[in-house]
Amino acid sequence: MKKYAMVIDSSVCIDCKACMASCKVQNNVPHGYWRNWIKHTIPDFSQGPLTRTHFQPGGCMQCDNPTCVQACPSGATYKDPQNGIVHVNEALCIGCGNCIKACPYGARFRHPDKRVPDKCDFCFSSGRLERGLLPACVDTCPTKARVFGDLNDPDSDASRLLRDKPTVRVLARGGIDTKPNMYYVAATAPTDWVDEVEFPGAFTALASLVNPVVKVAVGLSALGVAVMWAKQIFSPDKEESEHESSAPGKD
Amino acid sequence: MSEKMIHRHTRLSIFMHWFNAFCWFALLLTGLGLIKNEQLNPVGAWLPNLMRSLFGGGETLLMVHQYLGLVWAGVFLAYVLFKRRETWVFLKEVFTVSPASDMLWLAKMNLKMTLGRKGLQRFGLTPDLPPQGFYNFGQKVFAQASVVGGIVIVTTGLAMFFSTISMDNPEPVAWSRVIHYLTVGLVFAGLLVHIYMAAISREERPAFMSMFTGSVPEHYARHHHPLWHAQVATEKDKDD
Repeated sequence: MKKYAMVIDSSVCIDCKACMASCKVQNNVPHGYWRNWIKHTIPDFSQGPLTRTHFQPGGCMQCDNPTCVQACPSGATYKDPQNGIVHVNEALCIGCGNCIKACPYGARFRHPDKRVPDKCDFCFSSGRLERGLLPACVDTCPTKARVFGDLNDPDSDASRLLRDKPTVRVLARGGIDTKPNMYYVAATAPTDWVDEVEFPGAFTALASLVNPVVKVAVGLSALGVAVMWAKQIFSPDKEESEHESSAPGKD
Repeated sequence: MSEKMIHRHTRLSIFMHWFNAFCWFALLLTGLGLIKNEQLNPVGAWLPNLMRSLFGGGETLLMVHQYLGLVWAGVFLAYVLFKRRETWVFLKEVFTVSPASDMLWLAKMNLKMTLGRKGLQRFGLTPDLPPQGFYNFGQKVFAQASVVGGIVIVTTGLAMFFSTISMDNPEPVAWSRVIHYLTVGLVFAGLLVHIYMAAISREERPAFMSMFTGSVPEHYARHHHPLWHAQVATEKDKDD
Protein backbone atom coordinates (compact mmCIF):
# COMPACT_ATOMS: atom_id res chain seq x y z
CA MET A 1 0.00 0.00 0.00
CA LYS A 2 1.32 3.36 -1.03
CA LYS A 3 0.62 6.82 0.28
CA TYR A 4 1.53 9.30 -2.40
CA ALA A 5 2.23 12.85 -1.33
CA MET A 6 3.98 15.96 -2.53
CA VAL A 7 6.57 17.89 -0.55
CA ILE A 8 7.16 21.33 -2.03
CA ASP A 9 9.95 23.77 -1.41
CA SER A 10 8.05 26.88 -2.40
CA SER A 11 11.05 29.12 -1.72
CA VAL A 12 12.75 27.89 -4.90
CA CYS A 13 9.68 28.31 -7.12
CA ILE A 14 10.36 30.90 -9.81
CA ASP A 15 6.77 31.05 -11.08
CA CYS A 16 7.76 29.74 -14.51
CA LYS A 17 4.44 27.85 -14.74
CA ALA A 18 6.07 24.90 -16.49
CA CYS A 19 4.24 22.61 -14.06
CA MET A 20 0.91 24.05 -15.10
CA ALA A 21 1.70 23.82 -18.82
CA SER A 22 3.02 20.26 -18.67
CA CYS A 23 -0.03 19.17 -16.66
CA LYS A 24 -2.35 20.61 -19.28
CA VAL A 25 -0.52 18.82 -22.06
CA GLN A 26 -0.24 15.49 -20.24
CA ASN A 27 -3.86 15.38 -19.08
CA ASN A 28 -5.63 17.19 -21.94
CA VAL A 29 -6.96 19.79 -19.54
CA PRO A 30 -9.48 21.90 -21.49
CA HIS A 31 -8.85 25.49 -22.47
CA GLY A 32 -9.34 27.90 -19.58
CA TYR A 33 -9.04 25.26 -16.83
CA TRP A 34 -6.11 24.09 -14.69
CA ARG A 35 -5.53 21.07 -12.51
CA ASN A 36 -2.69 22.73 -10.63
CA TRP A 37 -1.55 26.24 -9.87
CA ILE A 38 1.06 28.62 -8.58
CA LYS A 39 -0.29 31.10 -6.04
CA HIS A 40 1.70 34.20 -5.16
CA THR A 41 1.84 36.85 -2.46
CA ILE A 42 0.99 40.44 -3.32
CA PRO A 43 4.30 42.32 -3.54
CA ASP A 44 4.64 45.42 -1.39
CA PHE A 45 6.45 47.82 -3.72
CA SER A 46 7.02 50.39 -0.97
CA GLN A 47 9.90 48.13 0.06
CA GLY A 48 11.82 49.33 -2.98
CA PRO A 49 14.68 47.02 -3.90
CA LEU A 50 13.72 44.69 -1.03
CA THR A 51 10.32 44.01 -2.58
CA ARG A 52 9.68 40.26 -2.57
CA THR A 53 7.07 37.86 -3.93
CA HIS A 54 6.67 34.31 -2.69
CA PHE A 55 5.39 31.69 -5.11
CA GLN A 56 3.50 28.64 -3.98
CA PRO A 57 2.91 25.67 -6.31
CA GLY A 58 -0.11 23.54 -5.49
CA GLY A 59 -2.87 21.26 -6.69
CA CYS A 60 -5.24 18.69 -5.26
CA MET A 61 -3.84 17.81 -1.84
CA GLN A 62 -5.20 14.19 -1.91
CA CYS A 63 -6.46 14.78 1.64
CA ASP A 64 -6.72 12.00 4.23
CA ASN A 65 -9.96 13.61 5.42
CA PRO A 66 -11.36 14.40 1.97
CA THR A 67 -14.48 16.56 2.26
CA CYS A 68 -15.09 16.10 -1.49
CA VAL A 69 -15.44 12.35 -0.91
CA GLN A 70 -17.73 12.95 2.05
CA ALA A 71 -19.99 15.16 -0.09
CA CYS A 72 -20.35 12.52 -2.84
CA PRO A 73 -23.46 10.36 -2.35
CA SER A 74 -22.54 7.56 -4.74
CA GLY A 75 -18.86 7.02 -4.08
CA ALA A 76 -18.00 8.25 -7.58
CA THR A 77 -15.30 10.32 -5.92
CA TYR A 78 -13.25 8.12 -3.62
CA LYS A 79 -9.91 7.82 -1.96
CA ASP A 80 -7.94 4.95 -3.41
CA PRO A 81 -6.87 2.71 -0.50
CA GLN A 82 -3.98 1.41 -2.63
CA ASN A 83 -2.19 4.73 -3.07
CA GLY A 84 -4.09 7.47 -1.27
CA ILE A 85 -5.03 9.27 -4.48
CA VAL A 86 -8.51 10.81 -4.61
CA HIS A 87 -10.06 9.62 -7.88
CA VAL A 88 -13.19 10.43 -9.87
CA ASN A 89 -15.07 7.49 -11.40
CA GLU A 90 -16.46 9.38 -14.36
CA ALA A 91 -18.88 6.58 -15.32
CA LEU A 92 -20.51 6.57 -11.89
CA CYS A 93 -20.58 10.36 -11.50
CA ILE A 94 -23.80 12.17 -12.39
CA GLY A 95 -22.15 15.58 -12.27
CA CYS A 96 -24.06 17.07 -9.36
CA GLY A 97 -21.18 19.37 -8.38
CA ASN A 98 -21.27 18.55 -4.64
CA CYS A 99 -17.57 17.67 -4.47
CA ILE A 100 -16.50 20.81 -6.29
CA LYS A 101 -18.19 22.97 -3.67
CA ALA A 102 -16.98 20.87 -0.76
CA CYS A 103 -13.29 21.30 -1.62
CA PRO A 104 -11.88 24.28 0.30
CA TYR A 105 -8.86 24.44 -2.02
CA GLY A 106 -10.86 24.86 -5.22
CA ALA A 107 -8.87 21.92 -6.59
CA ARG A 108 -11.77 20.66 -8.71
CA PHE A 109 -13.54 22.06 -11.73
CA ARG A 110 -16.43 20.78 -13.80
CA HIS A 111 -15.08 19.57 -17.12
CA PRO A 112 -16.91 21.62 -19.75
CA ASP A 113 -17.41 18.68 -22.15
CA LYS A 114 -17.55 15.64 -19.88
CA ARG A 115 -19.57 17.57 -17.25
CA VAL A 116 -17.93 15.61 -14.46
CA PRO A 117 -15.36 16.94 -11.99
CA ASP A 118 -11.76 17.01 -13.09
CA LYS A 119 -8.77 17.26 -10.79
CA CYS A 120 -5.15 16.36 -10.23
CA ASP A 121 -4.60 12.65 -9.59
CA PHE A 122 -0.80 12.80 -9.57
CA CYS A 123 -0.98 11.77 -13.25
CA PHE A 124 -2.38 8.36 -12.27
CA SER A 125 -5.02 8.21 -15.01
CA SER A 126 -2.53 9.32 -17.65
CA GLY A 127 -0.55 6.19 -16.83
CA ARG A 128 2.68 7.95 -15.82
CA LEU A 129 2.88 6.36 -12.36
CA GLU A 130 2.29 2.92 -13.83
CA ARG A 131 5.23 3.43 -16.16
CA GLY A 132 7.42 4.52 -13.26
CA LEU A 133 7.40 8.18 -14.28
CA LEU A 134 6.90 11.12 -11.97
CA PRO A 135 3.82 13.31 -12.32
CA ALA A 136 4.29 15.68 -15.26
CA CYS A 137 4.53 18.78 -13.07
CA VAL A 138 7.25 17.23 -10.88
CA ASP A 139 9.18 15.94 -13.88
CA THR A 140 9.10 19.38 -15.51
CA CYS A 141 9.92 21.62 -12.55
CA PRO A 142 13.33 23.21 -13.39
CA THR A 143 14.14 24.15 -9.77
CA LYS A 144 12.82 20.91 -8.28
CA ALA A 145 10.41 22.79 -6.07
CA ARG A 146 7.92 19.95 -6.39
CA VAL A 147 9.01 16.63 -4.89
CA PHE A 148 6.76 13.59 -5.23
CA GLY A 149 6.88 10.23 -3.50
CA ASP A 150 5.43 7.47 -1.40
CA LEU A 151 5.35 8.37 2.30
CA ASN A 152 5.11 4.69 3.23
CA ASP A 153 8.50 4.16 1.59
CA PRO A 154 11.10 5.64 3.97
CA ASP A 155 13.61 5.94 1.11
CA SER A 156 11.41 8.00 -1.21
CA ASP A 157 12.45 11.59 -1.92
CA ALA A 158 9.28 12.86 -0.32
CA SER A 159 9.78 10.79 2.85
CA ARG A 160 13.39 11.92 3.16
CA LEU A 161 12.53 15.56 2.72
CA LEU A 162 9.66 15.31 5.16
CA ARG A 163 11.97 13.68 7.71
CA ASP A 164 14.89 16.04 7.31
CA LYS A 165 13.14 19.39 7.03
CA PRO A 166 10.47 21.13 9.04
CA THR A 167 7.30 21.44 6.98
CA VAL A 168 3.95 23.23 7.10
CA ARG A 169 0.62 22.57 5.45
CA VAL A 170 -1.87 25.03 4.04
CA LEU A 171 -5.13 24.38 5.86
CA ALA A 172 -8.76 25.29 5.33
CA ARG A 173 -10.15 28.16 7.36
CA GLY A 174 -12.79 27.47 9.98
CA GLY A 175 -11.16 24.64 11.87
CA ILE A 176 -11.85 21.59 9.71
CA ASP A 177 -8.51 19.91 8.96
CA THR A 178 -8.88 17.96 5.73
CA LYS A 179 -5.44 16.42 6.42
CA PRO A 180 -3.86 17.39 3.08
CA ASN A 181 -0.97 15.34 1.72
CA MET A 182 0.87 18.35 0.42
CA TYR A 183 3.70 19.65 2.59
CA TYR A 184 5.65 22.88 2.21
CA VAL A 185 9.25 22.98 3.38
CA ALA A 186 9.96 25.48 6.20
CA ALA A 187 7.22 28.00 5.46
CA THR A 188 5.04 29.17 2.61
CA ALA A 189 2.81 32.00 1.51
CA PRO A 190 0.10 32.94 0.75
CA THR A 191 -2.10 30.96 3.13
CA ASP A 192 -5.22 33.12 3.17
CA TRP A 193 -6.59 31.89 -0.15
CA VAL A 194 -8.10 28.64 1.21
CA ASP A 195 -11.84 28.69 1.88
CA GLU A 196 -13.77 27.20 4.72
CA VAL A 197 -15.10 23.68 4.25
CA GLU A 198 -18.67 24.22 3.19
CA PHE A 199 -20.94 21.34 2.26
CA PRO A 200 -23.42 22.27 -0.47
CA GLY A 201 -27.03 22.94 0.54
CA ALA A 202 -28.33 19.97 -1.44
CA PHE A 203 -26.06 17.64 0.52
CA THR A 204 -26.91 19.12 3.91
CA ALA A 205 -30.63 18.95 3.13
CA LEU A 206 -30.32 15.30 2.13
CA ALA A 207 -28.21 14.30 5.13
CA SER A 208 -29.87 16.24 7.92
CA LEU A 209 -33.48 16.72 6.80
CA VAL A 210 -34.67 14.41 4.03
CA ASN A 211 -32.95 11.28 5.30
CA PRO A 212 -34.49 11.52 8.82
CA VAL A 213 -37.91 12.41 7.35
CA VAL A 214 -37.85 9.34 5.10
CA LYS A 215 -36.70 7.13 7.96
CA VAL A 216 -39.52 8.37 10.21
CA ALA A 217 -42.14 7.98 7.47
CA VAL A 218 -41.04 4.44 6.59
CA GLY A 219 -40.68 3.61 10.29
CA LEU A 220 -44.20 4.79 11.14
CA SER A 221 -45.60 2.92 8.16
CA ALA A 222 -43.77 -0.25 9.17
CA LEU A 223 -45.03 0.18 12.73
CA GLY A 224 -48.61 0.48 11.46
CA VAL A 225 -48.19 -2.66 9.39
CA ALA A 226 -46.70 -4.49 12.38
CA VAL A 227 -49.67 -3.51 14.57
CA MET A 228 -52.18 -4.60 11.92
CA TRP A 229 -50.35 -7.88 11.42
CA ALA A 230 -50.16 -8.56 15.14
CA LYS A 231 -53.86 -7.80 15.45
CA GLN A 232 -54.68 -10.19 12.61
CA ILE A 233 -52.61 -12.97 14.18
CA PHE A 234 -53.51 -12.57 17.84
CA SER A 235 -57.04 -11.21 17.85
CA PRO A 236 -58.73 -11.62 14.48
CA ASP A 237 -62.32 -10.39 14.28
CA LYS A 238 -64.54 -13.46 14.30
CA GLU A 239 -67.05 -12.09 11.83
CA GLU A 240 -64.26 -11.51 9.35
CA SER A 241 -62.95 -15.04 9.42
CA GLU A 242 -66.46 -16.42 9.09
CA HIS A 243 -67.09 -13.99 6.31
CA GLU A 244 -64.02 -15.26 4.49
CA SER A 245 -64.85 -18.91 4.66
CA SER A 246 -68.59 -18.57 4.34
CA ALA A 247 -70.58 -19.03 1.20
CA PRO A 248 -71.83 -15.90 -0.53
CA GLY A 249 -75.07 -14.32 0.44
CA LYS A 250 -74.73 -15.14 4.11
CA ASP A 251 -74.68 -11.57 5.33
CA MET B 1 -66.59 -22.92 -6.87
CA SER B 2 -70.07 -21.73 -7.45
CA GLU B 3 -69.18 -18.21 -6.41
CA LYS B 4 -70.21 -15.65 -9.02
CA MET B 5 -67.22 -13.62 -10.21
CA ILE B 6 -67.20 -10.03 -11.35
CA HIS B 7 -64.66 -8.75 -13.87
CA ARG B 8 -62.36 -6.19 -12.23
CA HIS B 9 -59.06 -5.89 -14.10
CA THR B 10 -58.15 -6.29 -17.76
CA ARG B 11 -55.12 -8.37 -18.67
CA LEU B 12 -53.29 -5.20 -19.64
CA SER B 13 -54.00 -3.64 -16.23
CA ILE B 14 -52.69 -6.76 -14.54
CA PHE B 15 -49.58 -6.69 -16.70
CA MET B 16 -49.01 -3.00 -15.92
CA HIS B 17 -49.41 -3.67 -12.20
CA TRP B 18 -46.85 -6.45 -12.08
CA PHE B 19 -44.52 -4.73 -14.53
CA ASN B 20 -44.65 -1.71 -12.23
CA ALA B 21 -44.10 -3.86 -9.16
CA PHE B 22 -41.03 -5.48 -10.72
CA CYS B 23 -39.61 -2.11 -11.83
CA TRP B 24 -40.20 -0.51 -8.44
CA PHE B 25 -38.50 -3.37 -6.66
CA ALA B 26 -35.52 -3.45 -9.01
CA LEU B 27 -35.21 0.34 -9.14
CA LEU B 28 -35.42 0.58 -5.36
CA LEU B 29 -32.65 -1.97 -4.87
CA THR B 30 -30.36 -0.57 -7.57
CA GLY B 31 -31.12 2.97 -6.40
CA LEU B 32 -30.28 2.21 -2.78
CA GLY B 33 -27.16 0.47 -4.05
CA LEU B 34 -26.03 3.75 -5.58
CA ILE B 35 -26.01 5.53 -2.21
CA LYS B 36 -22.58 4.43 -1.10
CA ASN B 37 -22.00 7.39 1.23
CA GLU B 38 -22.21 6.13 4.82
CA GLN B 39 -23.74 9.37 6.01
CA LEU B 40 -26.65 8.99 3.59
CA ASN B 41 -27.30 5.28 3.08
CA PRO B 42 -30.41 4.42 5.09
CA VAL B 43 -29.77 0.66 5.33
CA GLY B 44 -26.03 0.45 5.78
CA ALA B 45 -23.00 -0.32 3.64
CA TRP B 46 -23.86 -3.97 2.99
CA LEU B 47 -26.50 -3.19 0.38
CA PRO B 48 -24.39 -0.92 -1.88
CA ASN B 49 -21.52 -3.39 -1.52
CA LEU B 50 -23.74 -6.35 -2.38
CA MET B 51 -25.36 -4.59 -5.35
CA ARG B 52 -21.99 -3.49 -6.70
CA SER B 53 -20.65 -7.03 -6.41
CA LEU B 54 -23.73 -8.40 -8.18
CA PHE B 55 -23.60 -5.87 -11.02
CA GLY B 56 -19.83 -5.74 -11.30
CA GLY B 57 -19.32 -2.16 -10.16
CA GLY B 58 -21.07 1.08 -9.36
CA GLU B 59 -20.98 2.32 -12.95
CA THR B 60 -22.86 -0.76 -14.24
CA LEU B 61 -25.32 -0.41 -11.39
CA LEU B 62 -25.94 3.22 -12.35
CA MET B 63 -26.45 2.25 -15.98
CA VAL B 64 -28.94 -0.50 -15.10
CA HIS B 65 -30.81 1.88 -12.77
CA GLN B 66 -30.96 4.63 -15.38
CA TYR B 67 -32.03 2.49 -18.33
CA LEU B 68 -34.52 0.43 -16.32
CA GLY B 69 -36.00 3.71 -15.11
CA LEU B 70 -36.28 4.91 -18.70
CA VAL B 71 -37.96 1.64 -19.77
CA TRP B 72 -40.36 1.91 -16.83
CA ALA B 73 -41.27 5.50 -17.68
CA GLY B 74 -41.44 4.68 -21.39
CA VAL B 75 -43.90 1.83 -20.93
CA PHE B 76 -46.18 4.04 -18.84
CA LEU B 77 -45.89 6.83 -21.38
CA ALA B 78 -46.91 4.36 -24.08
CA TYR B 79 -49.87 3.23 -21.97
CA VAL B 80 -51.01 6.82 -21.50
CA LEU B 81 -50.65 7.55 -25.22
CA PHE B 82 -52.36 4.41 -26.51
CA LYS B 83 -54.93 4.00 -23.75
CA ARG B 84 -56.04 7.59 -23.28
CA ARG B 85 -59.58 6.71 -22.29
CA GLU B 86 -58.54 4.12 -19.70
CA THR B 87 -55.95 6.52 -18.30
CA TRP B 88 -58.55 9.25 -18.00
CA VAL B 89 -61.05 6.94 -16.31
CA PHE B 90 -58.39 5.76 -13.87
CA LEU B 91 -57.20 9.26 -13.01
CA LYS B 92 -60.76 10.51 -12.58
CA GLU B 93 -61.54 7.60 -10.31
CA VAL B 94 -58.52 7.91 -8.04
CA PHE B 95 -58.56 11.70 -7.80
CA THR B 96 -62.30 11.95 -7.06
CA VAL B 97 -62.73 12.09 -3.30
CA SER B 98 -65.52 13.09 -0.93
CA PRO B 99 -63.59 14.47 2.02
CA ALA B 100 -66.18 14.07 4.80
CA SER B 101 -67.04 10.41 4.27
CA ASP B 102 -63.51 9.53 3.13
CA MET B 103 -61.92 10.87 6.29
CA LEU B 104 -64.47 8.94 8.34
CA TRP B 105 -63.67 5.84 6.30
CA LEU B 106 -59.96 6.33 6.89
CA ALA B 107 -60.36 6.82 10.65
CA LYS B 108 -62.67 3.81 11.01
CA MET B 109 -60.53 1.62 8.79
CA ASN B 110 -57.43 2.45 10.86
CA LEU B 111 -59.23 1.52 14.07
CA LYS B 112 -60.73 -1.59 12.53
CA MET B 113 -57.40 -2.85 11.22
CA THR B 114 -55.52 -2.23 14.46
CA LEU B 115 -58.08 -2.59 17.25
CA GLY B 116 -60.80 -4.60 15.54
CA ARG B 117 -64.52 -4.19 15.68
CA LYS B 118 -64.47 -4.00 19.45
CA GLY B 119 -62.07 -1.09 19.18
CA LEU B 120 -64.51 0.71 16.94
CA GLN B 121 -67.31 0.14 19.44
CA ARG B 122 -65.15 1.44 22.26
CA PHE B 123 -64.96 4.74 20.40
CA GLY B 124 -68.73 4.65 19.98
CA LEU B 125 -68.48 3.88 16.26
CA THR B 126 -70.48 1.35 14.27
CA PRO B 127 -68.42 -1.28 12.42
CA ASP B 128 -69.82 -0.38 9.01
CA LEU B 129 -67.66 1.78 6.76
CA PRO B 130 -68.84 4.52 4.39
CA PRO B 131 -69.54 2.77 1.04
CA GLN B 132 -66.64 2.78 -1.43
CA GLY B 133 -66.48 2.80 -5.22
CA PHE B 134 -64.11 0.94 -7.55
CA TYR B 135 -61.25 1.96 -5.25
CA ASN B 136 -61.58 2.56 -1.54
CA PHE B 137 -60.11 5.75 -0.11
CA GLY B 138 -56.92 4.02 1.04
CA GLN B 139 -56.31 2.67 -2.45
CA LYS B 140 -57.05 6.10 -3.87
CA VAL B 141 -54.53 7.81 -1.63
CA PHE B 142 -51.85 5.31 -2.57
CA ALA B 143 -52.76 5.58 -6.27
CA GLN B 144 -52.53 9.37 -6.04
CA ALA B 145 -49.14 9.11 -4.36
CA SER B 146 -48.00 6.67 -7.05
CA VAL B 147 -49.13 8.92 -9.91
CA VAL B 148 -47.79 12.19 -8.48
CA GLY B 149 -44.72 10.47 -7.03
CA GLY B 150 -44.07 8.67 -10.31
CA ILE B 151 -44.12 11.93 -12.25
CA VAL B 152 -41.78 13.60 -9.75
CA ILE B 153 -39.43 10.59 -9.69
CA VAL B 154 -39.26 10.41 -13.49
CA THR B 155 -38.74 14.17 -13.85
CA THR B 156 -35.92 14.32 -11.31
CA GLY B 157 -34.49 11.09 -12.69
CA LEU B 158 -34.38 12.58 -16.18
CA ALA B 159 -32.61 15.66 -14.82
CA MET B 160 -29.93 13.40 -13.33
CA PHE B 161 -29.76 11.28 -16.49
CA PHE B 162 -29.19 14.30 -18.71
CA SER B 163 -26.81 15.95 -16.25
CA THR B 164 -23.59 14.73 -17.80
CA ILE B 165 -25.08 14.66 -21.32
CA SER B 166 -26.34 18.17 -21.75
CA MET B 167 -26.71 20.17 -18.54
CA ASP B 168 -24.19 22.89 -17.86
CA ASN B 169 -25.51 23.87 -14.43
CA PRO B 170 -25.18 21.09 -11.84
CA GLU B 171 -27.37 22.80 -9.22
CA PRO B 172 -30.73 21.35 -10.40
CA VAL B 173 -29.11 17.92 -10.55
CA ALA B 174 -28.00 18.03 -6.91
CA TRP B 175 -31.49 19.08 -5.81
CA SER B 176 -33.13 16.54 -8.12
CA ARG B 177 -31.43 13.80 -6.16
CA VAL B 178 -32.79 15.23 -2.90
CA ILE B 179 -36.35 15.31 -4.27
CA HIS B 180 -35.94 11.91 -5.97
CA TYR B 181 -34.88 10.31 -2.70
CA LEU B 182 -37.58 12.05 -0.64
CA THR B 183 -40.35 11.04 -3.04
CA VAL B 184 -39.20 7.44 -3.29
CA GLY B 185 -39.02 7.29 0.52
CA LEU B 186 -42.55 8.58 0.99
CA VAL B 187 -44.05 6.35 -1.72
CA PHE B 188 -42.19 3.40 -0.22
CA ALA B 189 -43.76 4.14 3.16
CA GLY B 190 -47.14 3.89 1.45
CA LEU B 191 -46.06 0.76 -0.41
CA LEU B 192 -45.55 -1.09 2.87
CA VAL B 193 -49.21 -0.59 3.72
CA HIS B 194 -50.25 -1.49 0.17
CA ILE B 195 -48.33 -4.77 0.32
CA TYR B 196 -49.72 -5.61 3.74
CA MET B 197 -53.31 -4.88 2.78
CA ALA B 198 -53.09 -6.81 -0.47
CA ALA B 199 -50.85 -9.75 0.23
CA ILE B 200 -51.09 -10.32 3.97
CA SER B 201 -54.40 -9.07 5.36
CA ARG B 202 -57.19 -11.60 5.08
CA GLU B 203 -59.84 -9.01 4.30
CA GLU B 204 -58.45 -7.96 0.96
CA ARG B 205 -57.31 -11.40 -0.18
CA PRO B 206 -59.88 -11.49 -3.02
CA ALA B 207 -58.48 -8.18 -4.33
CA PHE B 208 -54.99 -9.71 -4.31
CA MET B 209 -56.23 -12.73 -6.23
CA SER B 210 -57.91 -10.45 -8.76
CA MET B 211 -54.46 -9.09 -9.63
CA PHE B 212 -53.85 -12.54 -11.14
CA THR B 213 -57.28 -13.68 -12.29
CA GLY B 214 -58.84 -10.34 -13.15
CA SER B 215 -62.07 -10.91 -11.25
CA VAL B 216 -63.42 -10.78 -7.71
CA PRO B 217 -66.20 -12.76 -6.01
CA GLU B 218 -69.50 -10.94 -6.04
CA HIS B 219 -69.88 -10.91 -2.27
CA TYR B 220 -66.47 -9.26 -1.96
CA ALA B 221 -67.49 -6.56 -4.42
CA ARG B 222 -70.79 -6.00 -2.63
CA HIS B 223 -69.19 -5.65 0.80
CA HIS B 224 -65.94 -3.89 0.00
CA HIS B 225 -66.88 -1.79 -3.02
CA PRO B 226 -70.69 -1.41 -2.78
CA LEU B 227 -70.89 1.68 -5.00
CA TRP B 228 -68.93 -0.07 -7.74
CA HIS B 229 -71.00 -3.22 -7.27
CA ALA B 230 -74.20 -1.24 -7.64
CA GLN B 231 -72.85 0.41 -10.78
CA VAL B 232 -71.84 -2.92 -12.30
CA ALA B 233 -75.26 -4.37 -11.44
CA THR B 234 -77.12 -1.47 -13.12
CA GLU B 235 -74.97 -1.72 -16.23
CA LYS B 236 -75.66 -5.43 -16.36
CA ASP B 237 -79.39 -4.82 -16.06
CA LYS B 238 -79.17 -2.38 -18.95
CA ASP B 239 -77.30 -4.93 -21.03
CA ASP B 240 -79.95 -7.51 -20.24
